[in-house]
Amino acid sequence: MRNPRTILSLLFAAAVSGCGSSDGPILIGLAGPFSEQRGISMQLGAELAVAEINDMGGIRGRPLELVIEDDSASTEVAVRVARELYGTPGLVAVVGHLNSGATIAAAPIYNGGSRPVVQISPSASSPQVTEVGPYTFRVCPSDLVHGARLAEWAWEEVGARTAAVLYQNDAYGRGVRTTFQQSFEALGGAVVSEDPFVAPLPTFEPYLLRLSRRGGADAVMIAGTRAGAERIIATLDSLGVSYPVLGGDGLSGIESSDVDATGVLISSAYLPDRISPRNEAFVAAYQAAFGDVRPDHRGAGAYDAVHLLARVIDEVGPDRRRIQRYLATVGTESAPFQGVTGVIAFDENGDVPEKEVVIGVVQGGRIVTAVRQ
Amino acid sequence: MRLASRLNTIKARVIAALGVMIAGIVAIALIGVTALRTLDQTVSRELEGLTQAAEITNGLVVTLFDELRTGEQYLTDRTATVRQAFRDAGERAYGYQSRLHTLPDLREADRLMIARIAELQAEVEVWYSLAHAQVDLGRRAAAEGTARQARVPTYELLRLVQDFSALQRNRAGIVTQSLRQSSSDGRMMVWTVLAASVLLGVVVGIATVRAVERPLSRLEAVAKRFADGDLRPVTLGDMPEELASLGEAMTRISTKLRTLVASLVGESERIAASANDFSAISEQLAASAGEISTAMIDISGGAGLQVSSLQESSSATEQLRAATERNGKMAERLAELAEGIHRLAAKYQQDVSVSATTLLELGDVVQTSANQVEELDRLSEAVYDFVELIKTISTQTNLLALNAAIEAARAGERGIGFAVVADEVRQLADSSGAAAEDVTQTLSAVRTQVGQVSATMAAGRAKVRGVETIAQGAAEALDEIRRAIEEVEEGAKRVQNDAAGNLGAAQRILEELHKASEAANSHASASEEVAAAAEQQGASTQEMAAQATQLNEAAGRPRTLVKGFRV
Repeated sequence: MRNPRTILSLLFAAAVSGCGSSDGPILIGLAGPFSEQRGISMQLGAELAVAEINDMGGIRGRPLELVIEDDSASTEVAVRVARELYGTPGLVAVVGHLNSGATIAAAPIYNGGSRPVVQISPSASSPQVTEVGPYTFRVCPSDLVHGARLAEWAWEEVGARTAAVLYQNDAYGRGVRTTFQQSFEALGGAVVSEDPFVAPLPTFEPYLLRLSRRGGADAVMIAGTRAGAERIIATLDSLGVSYPVLGGDGLSGIESSDVDATGVLISSAYLPDRISPRNEAFVAAYQAAFGDVRPDHRGAGAYDAVHLLARVIDEVGPDRRRIQRYLATVGTESAPFQGVTGVIAFDENGDVPEKEVVIGVVQGGRIVTAVRQ
Repeated sequence: MRLASRLNTIKARVIAALGVMIAGIVAIALIGVTALRTLDQTVSRELEGLTQAAEITNGLVVTLFDELRTGEQYLTDRTATVRQAFRDAGERAYGYQSRLHTLPDLREADRLMIARIAELQAEVEVWYSLAHAQVDLGRRAAAEGTARQARVPTYELLRLVQDFSALQRNRAGIVTQSLRQSSSDGRMMVWTVLAASVLLGVVVGIATVRAVERPLSRLEAVAKRFADGDLRPVTLGDMPEELASLGEAMTRISTKLRTLVASLVGESERIAASANDFSAISEQLAASAGEISTAMIDISGGAGLQVSSLQESSSATEQLRAATERNGKMAERLAELAEGIHRLAAKYQQDVSVSATTLLELGDVVQTSANQVEELDRLSEAVYDFVELIKTISTQTNLLALNAAIEAARAGERGIGFAVVADEVRQLADSSGAAAEDVTQTLSAVRTQVGQVSATMAAGRAKVRGVETIAQGAAEALDEIRRAIEEVEEGAKRVQNDAAGNLGAAQRILEELHKASEAANSHASASEEVAAAAEQQGASTQEMAAQATQLNEAAGRPRTLVKGFRV
């Protein structure tokens, strides 16, 4: 089994170098919803990393180049985009997708066929991502960690004993909802309502009005993305009610939106005010490159993923199979990767179980690390 | 090369023919088993996939209907039970929907469909949840409007699930088709291998039969030729190893016999020539002896005359002198003649001794030949062993063929072809056995012939011994002749001396007349002695001639004996 494929990959490498592309760029796919704010954040992080690598002379003397494909955060588009990236000649790895739904839908493409290719998601946190295949990795903790951390914070720091959950009706929303509910109830709290939403939902008003009429809750937990959260906060404002709002990292970006999200508590694998020299340099470079915007966990995750891939390709060469083999050993047989989001050490499922989740709070248009009372 | 020589035995050929057929059967069995296993694995995998797909799609449809029913029901019946039933149905539907990803062998179209199903299912659940919230707030009309909106994605969802289910069913049809194709391919393969192995087995069988039959008939012809006494070299040609050993043994027999017969013929020719020479010498000796006798008679006559002249008168002194002179000359001639005979006898004695040596050598040759014949006899025994081996092989082959026939009969319809081949192999084994029997008989004939040759050789040896005795006798006779001639010479010399004495005394004849009379008397007695010796020699010569004739006859006999062989 090993020999023919090794020979094939050697032949392929020889063919690639024989065609004179040994001086050409090394291609890495980048897949996410780039027409949305969260996607742009991811793209900027990835592009910053690529620029840094190429400024240092590229990988093995070859420049790194991104092949950017927009999946619109849709499972349907993600499958098609994955096909395109998979079939791109000379493409050795993919950074993406951004959300869990797209990542899970695209995973069978990347893991299947005769020339599987590694995908590293910067922010797909659904527990299901764990099981989709050996070529799927992620640099962020799973929702199980987020949900549990948020429940703990709501119970201990917010002092909430009841919570209303609004969840996006997909893999991510359901994942965060389930782990939050389990942890919160385990602590002794009660979930008073669980209401699903999807992007085309015309209004949140009935859900929230019903909640306030039934006596409200000590906290509102939003298991979803920024767009939904913005509408929920706006609706709460319009109803004239105010509850402490918590949410997973899907909410990040809400700090710079039109709605006043001050006080919203957000769990995140990464916050730009994280204290580490490497992170400070990253934030400075990011702001120097893209103006006075701060990176979020998606941009930082994409930045880490690109740098990690660069190290691996430098080590084993631009070969899909060898990249996967080496990545799987990062943190065990080979050294863990010191990223701006923290230490990246993969387990046997391509997860980063050691990575911690921090709780941030929106203050003055920024998310800052929340301080325990 | 080595393989080819290994294959060139009857045993190897028979084993090869059976081996080819057995290998064919094993190959067929393997193909069949592999095909069945592949079929089994594919079928079970596909069945599992179909079962899963059916279970998931059925479950999804059922829970979707539940969700729809409870969703609608809550609009009119706002109880916690209905609400909980709606939520449970939603959870179950989500569970089924997320399991769709785990189905094996999904294609891109399937994945897109699953993704759309997930989206629609989420949407339907949200619409009903919103409608429920509106109902809870007492906004019945708005709730009904929202619920109506939910129906559109619901219908699309149900249709998609059914399409997905149909797609899976279609795939089952495609798989069935491919299974049918692969099973038909396997069947074709089995038939091809069967036909090929039967064909190959038959070809090897026929080749073996031919390879045994032809050399056997050639060997038989050669054996018959040897039996008829034709010992000329033969070319046996290519044949299986066992038969080639037999042929080689026969060739060696013929070579030995040929050498033996050729040396016998040569020796007998030489004996005959020697005997002829001997005969001629004997005749010459006889003639010489005759001459000696005549000369001695003349001498005797001269002596007698001398005696009477002495008694007649003393005046005949002159006459006496002349007579004495003549007498002397005669004696001189006699001496010369005797010397010639002596030389001749010595020469022929040497010839006879050479002949005797030759005869002794011939005796050795015959002894060697006899030994070779015995070795030939031993070789024949080795050939017997070979033939026994062939017989054993043919018996075992027969058994194998019988087993094969039984196995073929067990195999039923499919074994018919194999049974035919097994029967062929059995017949081949029978004919091998019969051929081996023929070889045994031929070999017996050869051995009988060899025995006869051996006996003849013994007789020849005895004859040669007789000839040896004769030659010894001849040598002894010659020796005797030589001694007799010596005596003749001696006598003649004495006569010569006496004659010289006579001549010197002619002047004193008168006085010495008395003495002369005495001398003449002694002269006569010497002549008589010589005559007697010459006579004895004549007898010896005659005896020798007779023995030479015998020798000639004896030398002719081995020639007659070997005349029957063609070399």
